[in-house]
Amino acid sequence: MTAQSVLAWGAFFLYTAATFAAFGYLFSKDARASRAMLALLGVGLALHVLSFVAHVAAFWVYPENRFFLPLTSFFGALSYMSLALAAAFFIVEGQNRLGILGAFVLPWAAGALGAAVIFANPDAAPLAQPLRSYWLNFHPMLLMTAYAAFANAFGVGVALLIQESQIKSRKPTELCYRLPSLDELDALNGKIVAWSYPVLVAGLVMGFVWAYIDWGRVWTSDPKMILALVTAAIYGAFLWMRYGAGRRGRRTVYVSLWGFASVLITFFGAELFSGRHVFMGGPR
Amino acid sequence: MKLAALSWSHKVSASAAREALASVPVEKVLAELKARGVAEAVALSTCNRFELYAAGRPGEAPDAAVLLELLSELAGAAVADEAEVRADLEAVRHLFAVASGLDSLVIGESEILGQVKTGYELAKAAGMTGKRLNVLFQRAMYVGKKARSETAIAAGSLSVPSVAVSLAQTIFGRLEGKSALILGAGAMAELAAKHLVARGIGRLSVANRTWERAYTLAARFHGEAVTWEAFPEALAQADVVISSTGAPTAVVTRAIVEAASKRRGGRSLFLIDIAMPRDIEESVHKLDGVFLYRLEDLESIVAKNMSSRAEAVAAARAIVEAKAAEFDAWAKSLATGRELSLKHSEKPPR
Repeated sequence: MTAQSVLAWGAFFLYTAATFAAFGYLFSKDARASRAMLALLGVGLALHVLSFVAHVAAFWVYPENRFFLPLTSFFGALSYMSLALAAAFFIVEGQNRLGILGAFVLPWAAGALGAAVIFANPDAAPLAQPLRSYWLNFHPMLLMTAYAAFANAFGVGVALLIQESQIKSRKPTELCYRLPSLDELDALNGKIVAWSYPVLVAGLVMGFVWAYIDWGRVWTSDPKMILALVTAAIYGAFLWMRYGAGRRGRRTVYVSLWGFASVLITFFGAELFSGRHVFMGGPR
Repeated sequence: MKLAALSWSHKVSASAAREALASVPVEKVLAELKARGVAEAVALSTCNRFELYAAGRPGEAPDAAVLLELLSELAGAAVADEAEVRADLEAVRHLFAVASGLDSLVIGESEILGQVKTGYELAKAAGMTGKRLNVLFQRAMYVGKKARSETAIAAGSLSVPSVAVSLAQTIFGRLEGKSALILGAGAMAELAAKHLVARGIGRLSVANRTWERAYTLAARFHGEAVTWEAFPEALAQADVVISSTGAPTAVVTRAIVEAASKRRGGRSLFLIDIAMPRDIEESVHKLDGVFLYRLEDLESIVAKNMSSRAEAVAAARAIVEAKAAEFDAWAKSLATGRELSLKHSEKPPR
């Protein structure tokens, strides 16, 4: 096993342990669980960064791969998204009292990295000729960063729905008093999407530019492109509802959850039926 | 360590003895004990209990009979018969249980912790505490906090108004900057207003069919009085609405709430109906972002909180037991010359 694999497995175990600690904190009142979650996550992040650096180094062993980011294999892509999500949670929620949301966000970070270490092949391979372009460092990287942020927003949205149904039930449990308030969750959900949306759009625009440069046209009606635009449209609708029409609550949150479903379909589904975007070119 | 504890609590003694003891200033009790050669003593006097903790000089137990006689003298009544007398470990355990609110009428109530602190500070100021009682009382306050934070004995509000405020906080977070509308100006309305203001609500409006009464109540809480006809408008602005009018039929109809909702930009609306018969139409609870709680909903939450506190008593007693044994071991180690360390070992949880 290579160093990057060992490090990635280590990070995966620490994220999993942090996820359990996050659930422990959600259902008990024990502040030690919260501290354990942050400590495990912090060490996991450190290992993960080292693993990613090792992965980049292994990728650049091939001279033709320099200096592109290794985001075209499942391993690289999932590892990067997991890293972005875990880091975003650590910085945005972990450092204040929103740490309780770990139970809703960290499973995605642990799951993505787990999928990478268990199912994906971490070995580096030379990039296919058309992918040797600096656009590669921007177009997928920006999209994956946005996807990681949307996973975070999804977790917040689920917490919001639970909190809303707790209060509607008129029989709130202890959980209701432990979760952040509806207003806070709603504001956080809206803010994360609002900040990530420009990143998503920038990633898409760069994709179009790259397509124009390489293929001579912007639009190729590739399934992945269609799905990515659907994702952008759903989140656009959410932002319009939330900030344009001044609507909040359950129904707007549903729209943001559909947005994340669309992200998953775009990312994984397109592998099944996309032509040009079966670009997860590395060995599987 | 030789420690004696005398208690007259709501659990055992009739109020006559407690009243007689409560009328004696704590400072006087301490001064008298000092004059009679008691080395260390702390007295705790509240409306539910009177307690005296005394430690003699090393190796010399304070005589409970002498203390009882002295207190009877000061109180001007025979209080000895109703006293519970405890010594050493049992006394430590009792103090820790008292500080944890396990001996209180309302389990886990936090006022007693402050009262223990006050009692200790008075004794300290009077020069009546030495190493043993200093450590004992600091330890008692630590155990009181620990039992409350690590078990559910102090969890959940136990009154209808405070449950309502806690629920408002689960919707809005902090109440600063939020506004409340009170419909009706009776005793219940006043109580609700008092709680909201105490928890820092930003703005308060009162609407009542009789303008004068709305004005009087609003003025008392630096709020704003609204004419009855204008309440639907005020409802569109408010975040929390508490209704307790004497109206025979619902005054807050679904139509009024729907119209208000359209103008609220998605802000949540928390409606509390404590009137009988009902003031607010039940169907508004189905509207997105509108939460209606009725008096019986709040009461059943109170009942649930009470029972979960009762369930947590055993866990809190275990903490008290363990910490009392720890303290006892420390106190015994003083005589051997090899003093055990007695740190507040774990950091108190955030």
